Amino acid sequence: MSAHLPGFALRYRRQTARHELQAAVPKGAVTHLHVPDEDAKAHLVTAVLKGRCEPGEELELFGESAAELARPRRKQLLARVGAVSPIVGLITNLNAWENIALPAAYHGSPPLAQVATLAHEVLAAFGADARQFLARIPDELGTLERKMAAFVRSLVAAPELMVFDALEDGLSYAECRHVARFESEYRARQPQGTVLYVDTREES
Amino acid sequence: MFQPLREIEGGIQLSLYVAARAPRLRVAPIFESFLRQVYFTGVTAATGVMLRACGLGVIIIAVMMDMLDADVDLAVKILLLLVFREVGPLAAAVVVILRTGTAVSAELAMMRVSGQTRALRYLGIDLYDYLVLPRVAGITLATAALTLYVQFLAVLGGLALSPFVIEASFTELTDRLFDLFAPVDFYYSVVKSLLFGFAIAACCCWHGLNPPDLTQNAVPKAVTRAVTQSAMLVLLINAVFAYLVFGILFFGLVKAHV
Repeated sequence: MSAHLPGFALRYRRQTARHELQAAVPKGAVTHLHVPDEDAKAHLVTAVLKGRCEPGEELELFGESAAELARPRRKQLLARVGAVSPIVGLITNLNAWENIALPAAYHGSPPLAQVATLAHEVLAAFGADARQFLARIPDELGTLERKMAAFVRSLVAAPELMVFDALEDGLSYAECRHVARFESEYRARQPQGTVLYVDTREES
Repeated sequence: MFQPLREIEGGIQLSLYVAARAPRLRVAPIFESFLRQVYFTGVTAATGVMLRACGLGVIIIAVMMDMLDADVDLAVKILLLLVFREVGPLAAAVVVILRTGTAVSAELAMMRVSGQTRALRYLGIDLYDYLVLPRVAGITLATAALTLYVQFLAVLGGLALSPFVIEASFTELTDRLFDLFAPVDFYYSVVKSLLFGFAIAACCCWHGLNPPDLTQNAVPKAVTRAVTQSAMLVLLINAVFAYLVFGILFFGLVKAHV
């Protein structure tokens, strides 16, 4: 387990008539956050992905309040956040490789050769045949495979904060053991990175 | 009540945005999307329109020549004025609306409804850059290319049939066609078809990205609106062009030789 770094990667607070949700995610830590319902989860994940909050919400990303962020600064901070979430699904008319490479190709970095190497490494670690996997469109992929593609796509940007939203939803017990390894794969590439698991289930 | 105004405003904004962002076509995934659109709209449609375009020229020339008891001069004038200038671009525009307009509006509406446009935004990808610009640029270019192709085939079909209807050889008709053909015929069709393509693409992209609601039922509604309005826009542009070229504004200034 990595040592915590000073400060917080994420702080979030939301006050509603029914409940108050507060979350503080220390840098470098692995945090499991169980939120009361789907609505609360969607608000939290959306706020983090947008770097913006609605009335009744407060958000701090890497020590900076989202309310005071100028657009370029918000963009810079959001580049440090990655997510595997149903909110950031795959594009259905692109195959897995095009989905994974799209942000890198659009933003011009990292080089596509590097993206290809990363994709092959990660998929091989999960026992997938990268060549076949990458050629398939999302409709030809199972739930686990879609999550793997989304995970690889997130890894490409080397995010400092990785949000795993409802990671085990729709997966069998055996598949859950696969996604449990996402964290170690992320850690192997971002030893100082922060991991946040969000779900709506009660802790067992 | 304000929906039509909102649609006009949205369409104009989208068009201006696309025009201003044209240099972004150099970005790799945008350029790939542009090439895919050109291929889908221009290349794959070409084989499908081959027979129809030839048939169009044949039918028009057969009916007109029979009705007007035409000679060589009139036959070639019909080919140039009617088939080349008017029917060719309109036929190509109809093909583009039916094949590409429906596909683009349905695809974008589906992406919007299923949250894929939101996913793109979260990945830092500008929707208009990635989805709209390559489609508008690709459809515009491909419509112009398809128009030239349809015109060529329709005129060829008309020329091939004419010797069976009137007493003139294919060579005679072709020679006369080249005598009467003026550059304005070419520019007129190219500019008009570029405008047709741009209007169809902008209209279909706008409706695709702005479905009436975010349910599955909104997809066919968006497609219907896109197709209907695209067709109206094409007819409007055609009317304006006809007025500009044959009407009082340029009459005598840009006068065709026929």
